[in-house]
Amino acid sequence: MAFLTDLKARFTREHVTLALDDIQALILRSRPEPYVGLHAMLHIDDAEGGRALLLRMAEHVPSAAGWTDDRDAWMGVALSFEGLKALGVPDASLSSFPLPFQQGMAQRAEQLRDVGSNAPEHWDAAFQPGTCHVALTIYARDDAALAVAVDKAMGELDRSHGVTLMGQHAFGADADAKNPFGFRDSISQPTVAGSGVAALPGQERAIAAGEFILGENSETGKPVAMPEPPELGRNGSFVVLRKYQSRVGAFNDFIRGQAQGEAAEELLAAKMVGRWRSGAPLPLTPDHDDPALGADPQRNNDFDFSQDPRGLACPHAAHMRRLNPRDSQLTILTDVNIHRIIRRSSTFGPKWQRDLTAQDDGGERGIFFIFISARAYDTIEFFQQEWINRGNFIDLGTERDPVVGLHETPGTFTIPRVPVRQRIDGVSTFNQLRGGEYLFMPSLSALRWIGGAAWHG
Amino acid sequence: MTDHKAAPDPRLADETMLEAIRRRIDAVAHDAPHLAKIALEAMVRKHNPDLKGTANSAGRVGKQSGNVSELTAIAPLKPGGAERLRRIFDLTNGNMDGAQRVSTLHDMRFVFFDDDTRILFATTYDGDWDSYINDFATKIPELMDLLFANIEGWPGIDSPAVKDFIAGHQIDAAGWFVANPQVTVVDTRRFQRMDKALTVFLDQMAANPPQDAATRQALDQLSQALAQPEGVDY
Repeated sequence: MAFLTDLKARFTREHVTLALDDIQALILRSRPEPYVGLHAMLHIDDAEGGRALLLRMAEHVPSAAGWTDDRDAWMGVALSFEGLKALGVPDASLSSFPLPFQQGMAQRAEQLRDVGSNAPEHWDAAFQPGTCHVALTIYARDDAALAVAVDKAMGELDRSHGVTLMGQHAFGADADAKNPFGFRDSISQPTVAGSGVAALPGQERAIAAGEFILGENSETGKPVAMPEPPELGRNGSFVVLRKYQSRVGAFNDFIRGQAQGEAAEELLAAKMVGRWRSGAPLPLTPDHDDPALGADPQRNNDFDFSQDPRGLACPHAAHMRRLNPRDSQLTILTDVNIHRIIRRSSTFGPKWQRDLTAQDDGGERGIFFIFISARAYDTIEFFQQEWINRGNFIDLGTERDPVVGLHETPGTFTIPRVPVRQRIDGVSTFNQLRGGEYLFMPSLSALRWIGGAAWHG
Repeated sequence: MTDHKAAPDPRLADETMLEAIRRRIDAVAHDAPHLAKIALEAMVRKHNPDLKGTANSAGRVGKQSGNVSELTAIAPLKPGGAERLRRIFDLTNGNMDGAQRVSTLHDMRFVFFDDDTRILFATTYDGDWDSYINDFATKIPELMDLLFANIEGWPGIDSPAVKDFIAGHQIDAAGWFVANPQVTVVDTRRFQRMDKALTVFLDQMAANPPQDAATRQALDQLSQALAQPEGVDY
């Protein structure tokens, strides 16, 4: 818990300008390390029953007040557009939501480049359009704490009527917080202005609160689109949830096929990700892993790309550099500060094994890619179109992200080297989309506003 | 602008792609056999994938061909708006700093009509319609507002309503031709840089030809690909 302890030390109450006691804790509170948890997807069959459950669930959702303090477990609640509809939220409010959110993730497949093997027809039943109305997420520091929190939530569900549990998914990772491919993840998090914590070394300046909290001023100087009335929208945020099945065996096979010997394999995998398995970033240690560096939150994000304009340490096409180019020179006019996300991804399935092949990969590993932003629906579409499934912004034409890109035909990965770049062929879709949804994470008062049908006056 | 989105003919709703092509050929062939021949040829021809266009949508409104999209919009101007815009264009001599930095814009066209009361804005750009609109709002808000504030109802580039506003004035192009649908503005700049760098490289090679067989062969392959004039194939 070094990371959280550290946050606590850096928290200054006088610097808080946000209404922390109205904001769901999950928005500001990072995963514990190690972490366990549960996602549950609910369907509302009866508006009144759904609202009653929401009111009671709201009692178990902690606020962000004291978000740097230790806590055993916490729950977050988010709603899809169809969920808001099913709860009886009036049309005047529904129509004030941004268009992509109204349409839902499946209907945005074209904009999200979720086609071919990632198309909605291949998604899990729980993510078929109109199915997931309410998403509950519980994070806990250990299994015992998780059991207590899950009991509480499921107890409320049992006492409700007109609500169906469509699916639930347990997740978790050890203290080294590794993703299905064996890499520490969720390292880089933006600092939210007004949250009371100053930026860590390597974090750029604090990002305007309105990029993450609705009703606050964003990087434009004004709030971004917010649903009406303010009682519903203020202090809420939007969430993108995408469930990926990670083709870990195929990834391992690819690495083995392209590199000879363990050292070369590790280097190639690190070039694709941008970090070594420990989380140590290539710009700080280009030639070998440095586990102490990877585990140190004071140092593992303390870098920019100013010393690496050619990408000789960290390729421009590396996943980490694509999704957070920091000070990299980009070909297209871009404001990197409006594409920052609060990462809340959660890994599921057995731990990564080096000797796993595509042959014996049972497909049980994966990741819930989850992030929070006041413009999450725009951000994911921008990511998918520009930063993941294209190379234009880094002068690489049609080359796609080697880790999370959709590769309908085998793709390439360009590694800058002296005197001439190396290009690796045969990149395939290593993360297959199994579903997803656009969600709205209301403030605590808005949860009660919806639960109490406050629009009736 | 409400009259540009005519409801589609309901009889066409269930038409399959192939039927649609046949119908189009029939319609054209009836009127002008010459045009039909061109259309047919274009349809059956094996395309070089590097040159291939597509008939997609550019997100919300507008057509997309390969990497390139079109945006055409007509809107009423505020009184005096045309005059103010003309002054800006005269001043900048068509050279809009900021617009150049965007690097997804192939061109922009501003046309005034109906006694300067309306504007036609047309642009060709890379990618989807609204990918970079949010970036414009924080990186070049002054330029965007300078250009578009003369349009009736412009909500401001930083307004959450700006996307709806633009989409509300857009008209899908009925016909649109793109010479290089796969080539972005960024690609073009790289090709220009490559051309210069390649010339320097070839000069160096000519002055000091490589001796080993593999390098000589690679160089010969390169020369073969470059040295012969080729007609432009669409």
